[in-house]
Amino acid sequence: MNEQALITDAQAGNLDAFNTLVLHYQDSVFNTALRILGDEDQAADASQEAFISAFKSIKSFRGGSFKAWLMRTVTNACYDELRRQKRRPTTPLEPDTEDGDEMDSPRWLADPNMTPDQQAEADEVEHAIQHCLNNLPLEFKTVVVMADIQGMDYSEVAAAIRVPLGTIKSRLARARLRLRECLQGFAELLPASYRLDEGVALSASK
Amino acid sequence: MNQRELELLSAYLDGQLSPSDSTRLESRLKSDLELVSVLDDLRAARNLLRQLPQRRAPRNFTLTRKMVGLNPPLPRAYPAFRFATTLATLLFFITFSVNALAPQFQQTLGFGTGGGEPEVFSAQAPAATEAPALADAATEAPIDSTNLAPLPTMMPPSEGESARTLETPTAKDGAVGNADDQDQTQVASEAMPVPVPFIPSVWLIIFAVGAIVGAIFMAAMRRSSINRWK
Repeated sequence: MNEQALITDAQAGNLDAFNTLVLHYQDSVFNTALRILGDEDQAADASQEAFISAFKSIKSFRGGSFKAWLMRTVTNACYDELRRQKRRPTTPLEPDTEDGDEMDSPRWLADPNMTPDQQAEADEVEHAIQHCLNNLPLEFKTVVVMADIQGMDYSEVAAAIRVPLGTIKSRLARARLRLRECLQGFAELLPASYRLDEGVALSASK
Repeated sequence: MNQRELELLSAYLDGQLSPSDSTRLESRLKSDLELVSVLDDLRAARNLLRQLPQRRAPRNFTLTRKMVGLNPPLPRAYPAFRFATTLATLLFFITFSVNALAPQFQQTLGFGTGGGEPEVFSAQAPAATEAPALADAATEAPIDSTNLAPLPTMMPPSEGESARTLETPTAKDGAVGNADDQDQTQVASEAMPVPVPFIPSVWLIIFAVGAIVGAIFMAAMRRSSINRWK
């Protein structure tokens, strides 16, 4: 795929060229939205909005990392979605436990094709991480999603969210620290190789 | 552990430290077990995040032209046709309005009541010019009609009166006939107004045809463009 040629064609109004770019990046865009919003339907809506917005403003793309530019568009769409949620809060579709506490990983939403054990094994880590991500401040979450989940380098993340490189380093370190603390609560769920040393973690965070 | 050390460890993990900073941190890591543990924890947290499964998009997010409000590219001649059609339509309505309203305005403003008649009323002229001719014919008629029998309502005149009767009725008849003819002429001229358009009707037709043809051409161009675009 000649990305630059496709971008140039898309800037000239060629929708087919842009759609080729969409097909190439749609999984990354969707996953970024999913990890920021924590909800598949909202992530799908935000991704679609992001691509529409990207096509309409593609003439403003002046070169550099197209992925970073696209990620900026999707994070903006996610921020819009979160603002909308703030204005019209909804009740989460999660059942309460017998004690009245909200369950983090409702089993009744599991894929019926998998056995409960398989489903649990597949979902536990993901749900634990998503839970911890959801508890991060938005600016930390955005950085950690781009750098650690999408594998973007610091300069790309800095370009995507338009903050200095030093701020990216700082936010990423603090986000990882908070994630580490949060994940201590799910230590028994994590695979042995990923278990964190609770004693050291607590002393380090002091 | 302070924030600065945490940032250094995080950046070291991602290979974002300068060579000199890396060397300095590595030498510290050899002697500081706490730093090593925190680095391991950060690495474990990062690996967990990287281990998150990449979900496939639930559907394709490819865009349609409708989604982005794209219109088909129209031929270069299209704007010229649009301008011409709009102009023709505008001129048609102006012409139509002027022709419909001008006579009323002129009547309201009193044109034609003075010395000369306006051109608009010239259509009434033929009817009006016939009236004096009829009147003249009526005045000449008594020469032949002198032998006509007196009106049945008249009493038998005396000889003197009969001579006068022979003359006066002629004049009277002429006058009465003249007045009746004038009334008839007036009624005829009021009953059959033949307005002359202010702007010749041929222009009205030209503009109407221009507007219709232009609209048809524009619709055909648009349809052809959409079909080609699809």
